[in-house]
Amino acid sequence: MISARNPMKDKVAIAAAATTGFTAQNTERSQLSLGAEACIKAIRACGLTASDTDGICGSAVPAAAMQSALGIPEVTWFANPSIPFGNQIAAAAAAVHAGLAEVVLAYHTPYRLPWNTSGALKDPFRRGGMTMPGAGAVPETVAGVAGYTAWAARYLHEYDARREHFGYVAINDRSNAARNPAAAMRAPLDMDDYLAARMIRWPLSMLDMDVAVDGADAFIITTPERARDMALPPVLIQAVVLGMIDRNEEDQTPGLHRHGQHVVVEALKARSDFWTDGMDLFFPYDGFSFITLAWIESVGLCGPGEAGGFIEANWDQAAKRILIDGHIPVNPHGGSLSEGGSQGSGHVREAVHQLQGLAGERQVEGARTALLTPGGFFFNAQGLTLRRA
Amino acid sequence: MVTDEALSAVFKGHSIDRDNVAHFRGRLERRLLINRCIDCGVWRHPPRPICSSCWSSRLEPTPVAGTGTIHLAIFLHQGPPAEGVDYATPYPVVTVELDEQPGLRFTSSVVGAPNETIAIGRRVRLDWIERAGTPLPVFRLAEGAGQ
Repeated sequence: MISARNPMKDKVAIAAAATTGFTAQNTERSQLSLGAEACIKAIRACGLTASDTDGICGSAVPAAAMQSALGIPEVTWFANPSIPFGNQIAAAAAAVHAGLAEVVLAYHTPYRLPWNTSGALKDPFRRGGMTMPGAGAVPETVAGVAGYTAWAARYLHEYDARREHFGYVAINDRSNAARNPAAAMRAPLDMDDYLAARMIRWPLSMLDMDVAVDGADAFIITTPERARDMALPPVLIQAVVLGMIDRNEEDQTPGLHRHGQHVVVEALKARSDFWTDGMDLFFPYDGFSFITLAWIESVGLCGPGEAGGFIEANWDQAAKRILIDGHIPVNPHGGSLSEGGSQGSGHVREAVHQLQGLAGERQVEGARTALLTPGGFFFNAQGLTLRRA
Repeated sequence: MVTDEALSAVFKGHSIDRDNVAHFRGRLERRLLINRCIDCGVWRHPPRPICSSCWSSRLEPTPVAGTGTIHLAIFLHQGPPAEGVDYATPYPVVTVELDEQPGLRFTSSVVGAPNETIAIGRRVRLDWIERAGTPLPVFRLAEGAGQ
């Protein structure tokens, strides 16, 4: 059952976002080191100090380690939800709204580890890091990393779609990343490059998969009242949804017509004041290129199987990127495929910067609203509407 | 009889627990067992401790006919090390919708067929091969059957 109830609407603000920038190489730094750098930047951007923070919401790096490293004297709430980053936003916003904490430091530390790149095995300090238990240990599975490849194959089977349609997503991200100094992959990319890329699991290649990076993003989440007294324009969280259905195993999910994204869309639409016709920015998830096509269709920009045609009709040939109706960019920071695989934190950070007018040469003039859909299909579809206060 | 202690070594790469142990023991006897609810008859995979349709705890790991239709098909150009798999020829992985119930699916590989003949919509039947001495359920394309 999907409820439209949303007492938290516009009652929690993101006061600041900061990043270390991302690199597709093993840095000689820990996740905690990268995370702490981003956290200090976010706290300073608000004009705050460590002692102004009373809540911590992190990802892989335990809140306790971050508190200890930063010398935050005391917190009254902390949590480490799993990624993608919509989970951190949802938990932190709910904690602020409920009064469990007033100023929450939220962070995510994308890191090159054995589960996302074999390159991590070269570093003795990474070898024992997070692996994916049960997924990908035998070839005969579509659990874990192979899941989106399997449904991408089904997409090609069911619709008049081609691999070039996945390629548009990769090219769009790369063209946008060229204007983002924080991005890991900025060299130009065209369709010939895309089609020549090394196949990993047909039908998806290297360029359909997010880039394993080192880096960190951090955020300050607080009440609109507190945010107004801080240094930057507040961004209000209008609605957050974490959507899932019962058949959420990769090979049992009912089909392209029915998975977590459809729950997210129905609930987020019901709980928000604007939808695609009122958005200035769009951040569909792109951990695999195919996920972006699915989100474009799920949010209703076009019908099932029509995302490729939709992109062609909204393609800025000169800039080699998507501009919906000639003015709405899609993942203007370069997304997971080119800025780096940040499991959604990069998307949220760019949305905040755009809505604060801090996006530099990527700035969308007068941007006031952003629709974000982090995550994929099965157990991690998420939605977020943000607006400038 | 393989002890519970030894099962995880026999099924390397799988996470064996109380809820799926019967399925893996079935494999040792070359029987593909899928949980079926004794009370409402609904099949469900992977194994869960209760029936998600009627909440009965009376689940019977039941052999399936092994016939079905390819629903998802991918080809691995790289992947985890496994005996008999070298990826020089991309390795097919298919999710098969079993004839027992719409939406009931099992994922494995297809053997004995060139990759260009393995496609979504093809009919298949269950067969067994061995990997490192342990039976592995796989599929073969059904003879003469088209889409």
